[in-house]
Amino acid sequence: MGRRILLIEDDVETADYVARGLAEQGHVVDRAADGRQGLFLASDGGFDLVILDRLLPGLDGLSVLRGLRAAGVATPVLILSALGGVEDRVSGLEEGSDDYLAKPFAFAELSARTAALLRRGEGRAVAETRLSVGDLEIDLLARSVRRGGRPVSLLPREYKLLEYLARHAGRVVTRTMLLEGVWDYHFDPGTNVVDVHVGRLRRKLEEGAQTPILHTVRGAGYRLAADP
Amino acid sequence: MTLRTAPTTVRVALLAALLALATSLTLLGFIYWRMHDDALTTLRAQVAEESRVLAEVSRAGGVQALAAAVAGEAAVDDPALIVLLLDRAGRRLAGSPLPAPAARLTRAGGFRIVAVAGGEAGVIARPVAGGWLIAGRRFGERLAWQRTLERSLGLAVLLAGVLGAGCGLIVARYVGSRVAAITAAVDRVGAGAMDGRVPLAGSRDAFDALALRINRMLDRIGSLMAELRLLTDGLAHDLRSPIGRLRTRVERALASDDPATRDQLLPGVLAEADALTRILTNVLDIGRMEAGARPMDPLDPAALVADVAEVYAPTLEDAGLALAIEVDDALPPVAGQRQLLAQALSNLVDNALTYAAEGRRLCLFAHKREGGVALGVADAGPGIPPALHGEARRRFGRLDAARSAPGGAGLGLALVDAVARHHGGRLELSDAQPGLIATLLLPASGPPLDMGRFAS
Repeated sequence: MGRRILLIEDDVETADYVARGLAEQGHVVDRAADGRQGLFLASDGGFDLVILDRLLPGLDGLSVLRGLRAAGVATPVLILSALGGVEDRVSGLEEGSDDYLAKPFAFAELSARTAALLRRGEGRAVAETRLSVGDLEIDLLARSVRRGGRPVSLLPREYKLLEYLARHAGRVVTRTMLLEGVWDYHFDPGTNVVDVHVGRLRRKLEEGAQTPILHTVRGAGYRLAADP
Repeated sequence: MTLRTAPTTVRVALLAALLALATSLTLLGFIYWRMHDDALTTLRAQVAEESRVLAEVSRAGGVQALAAAVAGEAAVDDPALIVLLLDRAGRRLAGSPLPAPAARLTRAGGFRIVAVAGGEAGVIARPVAGGWLIAGRRFGERLAWQRTLERSLGLAVLLAGVLGAGCGLIVARYVGSRVAAITAAVDRVGAGAMDGRVPLAGSRDAFDALALRINRMLDRIGSLMAELRLLTDGLAHDLRSPIGRLRTRVERALASDDPATRDQLLPGVLAEADALTRILTNVLDIGRMEAGARPMDPLDPAALVADVAEVYAPTLEDAGLALAIEVDDALPPVAGQRQLLAQALSNLVDNALTYAAEGRRLCLFAHKREGGVALGVADAGPGIPPALHGEARRRFGRLDAARSAPGGAGLGLALVDAVARHHGGRLELSDAQPGLIATLLLPASGPPLDMGRFAS
């Protein structure tokens, strides 16, 4: 289902690339090429998501963000930035953005994060106590996991990892999303530590089960889903 | 530039002259005020009264009566008194002997001070019928002395003006020459001669202090520029090979008609692009840290180590490395940024994974040290010879081809070093015989935390 996304980005090539990709996924993308126009359009509030470049002519991205939040607009904001250092990411999030993605980025990464933010916008008022994906069941209160009725014993971090995947069930979750969401690490450790953790979780989930449930999506990340 | 210095010099000269003048005037004014009294006013009143009385006589009794009165007055034994009657031509008709040439006396217009034989006198000349009535008094010793003083003070004011101007000129020339030396040196540097420095006069004054600071600033700029050049050279050098590999893969993929071959080559392209991005991000992070400070939070060193250990434990196990964690009790907190410190520790573990996996063990530690905490990683790999420790922590200072894994740009230890310095600490490399111990020495930010939670 398509959603309305505002893309505030001055670099035409990046904007074309992102807009085309999102449109192919069925979203309606409006574009603004500078900060002032972007703030004007975004203040309207009719968007489900704002993708905001940090370095913009007219009014820089963080000022646009501050302006939006000051005007009481709560639309989720994803910041895109050529400033990809740890400190830039953290300061971007502190300024009230909902996610931060450093340039250059893979479209899969943007797509996964966009999907996560749009889902958040749907709002789940009722606090969940259980999550289930296919024959996988997670009891959020007891912090216990069962697959096909059989208990699966997980380490605390494996449980957190599974919970994060389950909350994004059916959608692609990238390695950096996992690093940020599960470990709160906003930098890229050179070695692919996430793959090893996911590998172990997968082994425990799929041990003795008939069907795979934790899928690797090539060039993008992972997806927890009953169907392949 | 030179246009601006001239008015400044003039201003300095004027200021110095005005200050000198103001000082002199204050002193002279003070002397005048202390020495001056109303002796002259009294004398003036006396003379005026004398003149008025005699004028009355003249009006009432005519010239004869006046002449008689003048003669009578002059006969009184008062050496100070001057009273005489002159005819129109200035010849004496009656009264005291002429004290000065008549022309000097016969001028109407109230009280005047004139030079007379043996000093000065205050006189009033009045035209009367047929001539002039002169009334006056010679100055006493005190009045004469006061007059001398006044004249001297006047002269002194003049002298003070001249001396002040002289002072101003000397000060201006001195300041001008010192400033000119500094300006010339700064101009030389501005024109591109980065080795230009301001000469010191050796006087240890404010100008020398300024020159010293300017020189220090120039030194810092010079070293930053050198570092920047090193950085750009290093970047150019280190980006060249991954870009080259990237290019080759793309070329081969383009040249291939076989989709399978292409699919095999393309992930490599992505991996190279990611490695490039990582290099740039690290360089950016190092630059940010060197550029300035962000607020620090109190952090528990034990938790930092535990977090990194938890992230890497499965990877280390898969690589066949036994992980040991050594954490002292009651460690003091450090003020820092969790992301940066975690990244630094991750880099150290990552280095050990890449270069020291053959050592089969790795230790993550947090020890108490004098005034702070030592966080780090010890491995049992080949280590780094002490002579090369400096090179190892330099940006792009990759030790040798054998140690450079694909994608590694030699930024690992440089980043760790930058993080340590950013937190007011340093990176220490030492020999574990065999192996490398990389330690982040960080200053404590408060009393030890309650470590009960982390004891395990």
